[in-house]
Amino acid sequence: MPTRTPLDTTAPRGTSQLEVAAELLALLRDTATEPRPDIQLEALTLAVAADLPVLLWGEPGIGKTAALTQLAETLDLPLTTVIASVHEPSDFSGLPIVGDDPATDGVPMAPPEWAVRLVRAGRGLLFLDELSTAPPAVQAALLRLVLERRVGALQLPPGIRIVAAANPRASAADGWELSPPMANRFVHLQWVHDHDVVVRGLGGTWPRATLPVLDPTRLAEAVAFARRAVCGLLTTRPKLVHLLPTSETRRGGAWPSPRSWDMTVSLIAFATAAGSSREVLSLLVRGTVGDGPGLELLAALDRMDLPDPEDLLADPTRAILPERGDLRQAVLDGVVEAVRKRPDKPRWDAAWAILVRALDTGAPDLVVVPATTLASLRDQDWEVPASIERLAGAVSLSRRADRAAARTAVAARAGR
Amino acid sequence: MIAAAPGALDLDKLYAARLYAARARPYLATALYALHVVESRTVSTMAVDRYWRCYVSPVFVARTPEEELASVWVHEVSHLLRDHHGRGDRVARERGLTGRGDRLRMNLAADCEINDDAFDDDLPRPEGAVLPGLFGLSEGELMETYLREIVMGLVTRDLAWLDCGSGADGLEREWDLGPDGAHGLSEQERDAVRFRVAQGIRGRPGHASKSWRRWAEEVFHPPQPWRQLLGAAVRSAVAGAGGADDYTYGRPARRSAGVPGVVLPSLRRKPPRVAVVVDTSASVSDAELGSALLEVAAISRAVGGRRDLVTVVSCDAAARIVQPLCDGEGITLLGGGGTDLRSGFAKALRGSPRPDVVVALTDGQTPWPSARPSCRTVVGLFPRIHDYSANEDDPDYVPDLPPDWAHVVTIGPTP
Repeated sequence: MPTRTPLDTTAPRGTSQLEVAAELLALLRDTATEPRPDIQLEALTLAVAADLPVLLWGEPGIGKTAALTQLAETLDLPLTTVIASVHEPSDFSGLPIVGDDPATDGVPMAPPEWAVRLVRAGRGLLFLDELSTAPPAVQAALLRLVLERRVGALQLPPGIRIVAAANPRASAADGWELSPPMANRFVHLQWVHDHDVVVRGLGGTWPRATLPVLDPTRLAEAVAFARRAVCGLLTTRPKLVHLLPTSETRRGGAWPSPRSWDMTVSLIAFATAAGSSREVLSLLVRGTVGDGPGLELLAALDRMDLPDPEDLLADPTRAILPERGDLRQAVLDGVVEAVRKRPDKPRWDAAWAILVRALDTGAPDLVVVPATTLASLRDQDWEVPASIERLAGAVSLSRRADRAAARTAVAARAGR
Repeated sequence: MIAAAPGALDLDKLYAARLYAARARPYLATALYALHVVESRTVSTMAVDRYWRCYVSPVFVARTPEEELASVWVHEVSHLLRDHHGRGDRVARERGLTGRGDRLRMNLAADCEINDDAFDDDLPRPEGAVLPGLFGLSEGELMETYLREIVMGLVTRDLAWLDCGSGADGLEREWDLGPDGAHGLSEQERDAVRFRVAQGIRGRPGHASKSWRRWAEEVFHPPQPWRQLLGAAVRSAVAGAGGADDYTYGRPARRSAGVPGVVLPSLRRKPPRVAVVVDTSASVSDAELGSALLEVAAISRAVGGRRDLVTVVSCDAAARIVQPLCDGEGITLLGGGGTDLRSGFAKALRGSPRPDVVVALTDGQTPWPSARPSCRTVVGLFPRIHDYSANEDDPDYVPDLPPDWAHVVTIGPTP
């Protein structure tokens, strides 16, 4: 009888087809992991740790749920996944239970079973998946859950962290749109897949992210740093405090307001206490106040990292200048600016010493502009320091550029 | 100064050229200084990688005058600022371009985007610079556009030596130090440099050329594909206006059997009615209007609308375009209105039954209804460059902007 499959004939006696299938499945599931930095997951972990509502934007099927599973394991929280699109609004606002005498006792709104379990556990990670494919009424009920942390008559305890996921507007099946006040309450993280990770994972090795650990000794310092960073920026850029999005492209995304800046302070403090990289912080900050203000804040942070011109002037011999040309130039400009603000002979001399140091340790063209400016600050009585001789290289470089400019001018006139 | 030993990289000359470049293009100084110089004998001229390292051939520096070297500096840093490697990767994925020749074309297209306005009297055009004219193309376009037009052939054979490195087209080269090499810039640092340059240009736009100003405006807010935006706007308008799927207390839910005595909402569908108001002052091209109108019809069908629920209110000038489109798509066409968008709106809202959403396709050169219409409104706006000199009778004439109660989606050529 030709009804048997080849597998059946080779299998040992007494082994059923399903057992063989189970063996094959076990082989397929037997995958290894390798440590690999994952800045998306790190950002998500920090935002969840900071107890801020997170909204993951990502196309379906790119591993948002897998990431949440790993996050729950790391934070040691039980994970509850609620697929929003298969629920009714009353599942989140509570199902009415009619008692004996509704007129006197009222109608209580009973929470669903998963919420009761969650509250009883007192802690957990609640993942609201597929927010964007739920009908508008369900979305409205869900947003109340996210923002007020209430399910019917139940109040979720503080130990419960909430993460939601949505498809990008352009690919959403129907009209999912976050109004600006709602968008302002979330940390928006764009979830994208990494090609290499996926290929390697399908080959049998998935990444294991090393997740940030908050350092208990750095907490006070982290808070001070975060406050200084945000206040410093908003003092010089008052316009950034509140900026409603106007264009259609930015609708539904992050935008700056006092509320989102407050969230930013928390996130910077958490990232600092965890010693996270700037890449992680960049994702978080841009996801909270938007790209433009976020980038301005990051630029301000970069400037906070640069050495203080006054410290350099106080001890020029031990000045350590940044390697990168543009940062080095910013420091030198800062030094010259500091001298211009409060000029005296020792400070002027110290600035020359710093320029000489810059010339000894890096590209000479960076020194030309600061040196010219510094020379113009000279008081008539000040003697030129001997070290200025060493700047001759920069001066000849400048002359070389001048000569090239002259040649170009001649050529341009001739060509006309 | 002592002349450099033969064969060694003349750093002084290279830095003098960078100084020259920074003087000629002060708004690019930050980016120029952020580049890290790496001497390399395998590159033919100068090349960059995506980590902002600049590979330099000593021979090339020795034989090129400072002013031309300065131009090359500016050229190379432009590749990085304009994210040509990232855009190249995206284009390669979208259009399935995998060959080496494709990457060379990308490099050439990127060169065209930069070179068409990078040089002037202060910064001479280096010899052999690739210009769009070489391929018979017009200036001022983006890399993606040039890439479509440039075909490998006789013209490109002579240019094969031109190689701006992986920073220009995303293809790793043998000389690249890679992500782990020293002095590379991280993604956040690259963004920070770009942002600083863009801020400098926006702060003092007078110094920068037109294409650099456009870049500075769009670098962190690239124009979105209008089809998707229009789709999202129409979908959200349709869903929120009582159409589409939502809960209603008009009929009891199936679950009600479980909770006797309580009325639960049930899911029900009301197909949305969409009215499209087409207002063209004879200045909208057939192609633009046609694709936008078809887009709206397709979207409203996708969210559950039926063909007969899409109506089009056409204005006189557009009738000749709209008529065949509507016939072909089986869309109801209401009679022509005035050339005033207000009458178009009025006509659409008078329709029976009333529409759930009004989509207006217009170039914006029109007065707008003074009050918010009774249903959601999406405006598809064809951007027009305002040519004030054309309107000599009234130099102060500025067309009204679309009102803020409408979702406005700018419709333009998809980048």
